[in-house]
Amino acid sequence: MRQKAEISRRAVLGASAGAGSLVLLAKHGRAAAEKPQYGGSLKVAYNIAPGALDPHVGRSGGDAYYWRQMFDQFVDADRSLKPAPSSSLAESWDLSDPKAMVFKLRKGVLFHDGTPFNAEAVKFNIERVLDPATKATPRAAFLSIDSVTVVDEYSVKFNLKRPWGSGLSMLADRGGAMNSPAAVKALGVDYAFKPSGTGPYKLAEMVSGSYVRLVRNDKYWRRDPDGNPLPYLDEIIIRVVQDPTVQVAGLRSGETDLVYLPYRDVGTFLEDPKYNVSVFQGGNIGYLMAFNTAKPPMDNVNLRLAVAHAVNPEAINKAAFFNRAIIAKGGMWPTGAWAYDPTVTRPSYSPAKARDYLKAGGKPNGFEMDAVTWASDTLSPSAEIVKAQLGAVGIKLNLKVFETSVATDRFYSTGEAPVFLTAWSRYPEPDWIAALNYSSTGYYNASKVKDARMDALIEDGAANVEIDKRRAIYRRVDEIVLGEGWITPLIYGVTYAAAPKKVQGLDSVFGWDAKFNLHAMWLKKS
Amino acid sequence: MRRYVLRRLAQLVPSLFLITFMVFALMHALPGDPARALVAGGEALDETQLAVVRHELNLDKPMPVQYALWLGKALSLDLGRSIITQRKVADELSLRALVTLELGVLGWLLSAAIALPAGVLAGSFRGGRIDAVTTVFAVSAVALPGFWVGIMLILVFGVWLGWLPTQGFVAFNLDPLDNLRHMVLPAIALGTGSAALLMRQTRSALLEVLAQDYIRTARAKGLARRAVVLGHGWPNALLPVVTVMGLEIGRMFAGAVVVETLFGIPGMGRMIVQAVFQHDFPIVQGCVLVMASAVLLVNFFTDLTYAWLDPRIRYDG
Repeated sequence: MRQKAEISRRAVLGASAGAGSLVLLAKHGRAAAEKPQYGGSLKVAYNIAPGALDPHVGRSGGDAYYWRQMFDQFVDADRSLKPAPSSSLAESWDLSDPKAMVFKLRKGVLFHDGTPFNAEAVKFNIERVLDPATKATPRAAFLSIDSVTVVDEYSVKFNLKRPWGSGLSMLADRGGAMNSPAAVKALGVDYAFKPSGTGPYKLAEMVSGSYVRLVRNDKYWRRDPDGNPLPYLDEIIIRVVQDPTVQVAGLRSGETDLVYLPYRDVGTFLEDPKYNVSVFQGGNIGYLMAFNTAKPPMDNVNLRLAVAHAVNPEAINKAAFFNRAIIAKGGMWPTGAWAYDPTVTRPSYSPAKARDYLKAGGKPNGFEMDAVTWASDTLSPSAEIVKAQLGAVGIKLNLKVFETSVATDRFYSTGEAPVFLTAWSRYPEPDWIAALNYSSTGYYNASKVKDARMDALIEDGAANVEIDKRRAIYRRVDEIVLGEGWITPLIYGVTYAAAPKKVQGLDSVFGWDAKFNLHAMWLKKS
Repeated sequence: MRRYVLRRLAQLVPSLFLITFMVFALMHALPGDPARALVAGGEALDETQLAVVRHELNLDKPMPVQYALWLGKALSLDLGRSIITQRKVADELSLRALVTLELGVLGWLLSAAIALPAGVLAGSFRGGRIDAVTTVFAVSAVALPGFWVGIMLILVFGVWLGWLPTQGFVAFNLDPLDNLRHMVLPAIALGTGSAALLMRQTRSALLEVLAQDYIRTARAKGLARRAVVLGHGWPNALLPVVTVMGLEIGRMFAGAVVVETLFGIPGMGRMIVQAVFQHDFPIVQGCVLVMASAVLLVNFFTDLTYAWLDPRIRYDG
């Protein structure tokens, strides 16, 4: 699993201050707020090639790096996971009726094909997500919507089957990206790579497997806090560069202006006065162990806890993450997410406890089992450490390394292995994670075991709109998941992005999901 | 000769059938659910949607039926659409095949340009200094993995010296010079391993020929060493060399997978690997069709070259 995420909600207020990114100043420091300059071409390198550029039809978490620059969210979210009306297509909303959401729309917004954004367009887009034929991945999260009513040209009402607790969060991702109905209808299947959104950049060219070139949308509606029109750049080129070493080489040679830093290079770039580095704490779940609770020997809760207690995340952070990540203290909604709760009781490193659980599980001398994983800079060394540490308490782990999609399939779909050593994207909306991973019908629930307690909690969390109630519900979810060893997150990743000094707006480079949001970037002319 | 050519061309058709069918069958034998392989990076489809996907992709039909459906369309030149990007396979291929072709030909020419003179020199001066140097080069080039050579080239020529771009691609018709600048390092990374093999082949073929009696006769009648090697030895050493050069075209496709990935070049090699992982079988089938045709045609032309190179070989039988 690579990156994934989703966000926030109105009630997030007050929660999780201090999350998000900060720009670390290199030796020269940074000049006080400068007036942005217009023009220039920003060259970005990213390792995953885009699938479809239509946000509803694309089905890989990596697509967001491309489509997000061309689209606005119906309800946007800021980095601290709060809804951000100023960058949303919905100007305001009324959630007083638990069975309805009423939105007032921004006026004067045009799609890239010149057609207007209005209530009909919202209705078309939401119905498109709900239509199984679209095969839109957020559909499951949108099923709380019964129907959409156009109130007038600039107001729209979602009629709900039940309260939709994660609604605003969900509208900040794929499903809440607004496509031009005219373009979708006219282009049919071809719309997948000829998207028409309302965002600050328009697609100019897509050379499959090589790069995507975006150009400035001169008719973009948003302005910066000083009233200057956005965006600043003339052009963005996102190149597909798979190897992180080559990405960093491109940054050094000046061919690339912006990359994610591999952990091993973070120290060098922090020291280098020619570059700025932006940081997102908890940018992903850097390393985790997922257990198939129906597959022997991991169907035995004591043996799962033995494994969970036997692994020392400190060692993994040191060896695989160069001590630049964070030890996971909570569950799958990491640092900065409103549901994040570091006080939940969860297994921590203790070989003595691991041996106790082995005894309790009826295997005092240990046992042998398979684990699937996939290869990456961080995962490969981490897997070796897990293997060694489990070996120290008598558990022999046979690592099976596959390509990412194959490993994912072998664990979640064919159920061939009891353990999956993997990473997960930042997904701060707990309903999304819980419904996918813990629900008995969840797509990423390897065991498919029906746990009535869990299904009830998930149902309750999804249908609840009050943040404090939801927080309590998801704490209970974490207690089961962590306490009974369904999943053991070990490392929360820290995401680092580096750019030469001429690149400005780096403090805005991460969206709520730690993916690139380039709407407000600009280039300083030397 | 004409009969031979026609017969060989006709043989290509069943070969292509067989290859595409085998690959189709292999793709369907891959473990895992192709419908689920559509989603990645934490995304998900629900059961209703998965059912739609299976129906649309004909996954609910038996494999031979699926192949027949694919073949029927392919024969009318419709290769379908990528199930990931939704783009037409033919559109994807037309661009990518040319890129891989350019990279392959450049790598191949480069390897020949290095290997043939070096092999001849090494063969003519067996045991000498040139032989030693080229042998060391050949052994290293064969031993070093292509991706490592590629990364070193990037560091030296891109980062330290700053002479050449290290990533990305510019289409030849947009800017031929810039296109070549982008292709130099990948072509070297691709061609080096092949050059080493070809050089060793050239050297040993030449050595074998130079040990023949007629060479000794030529030398004995007073011909200069150079004239003997180039005029009498070289033409006769060419047959095995041409065979290897033909085979190396296939190797270029394999090497392109790594080199294209490393340098971010949108070629077919990279596309087919990604497509296999994503179970994007329309793309896999399209790539296989193009690659298999290319390799079969190259073998065909290699065979014809034999007759041209060696007048004793005739295909009229």
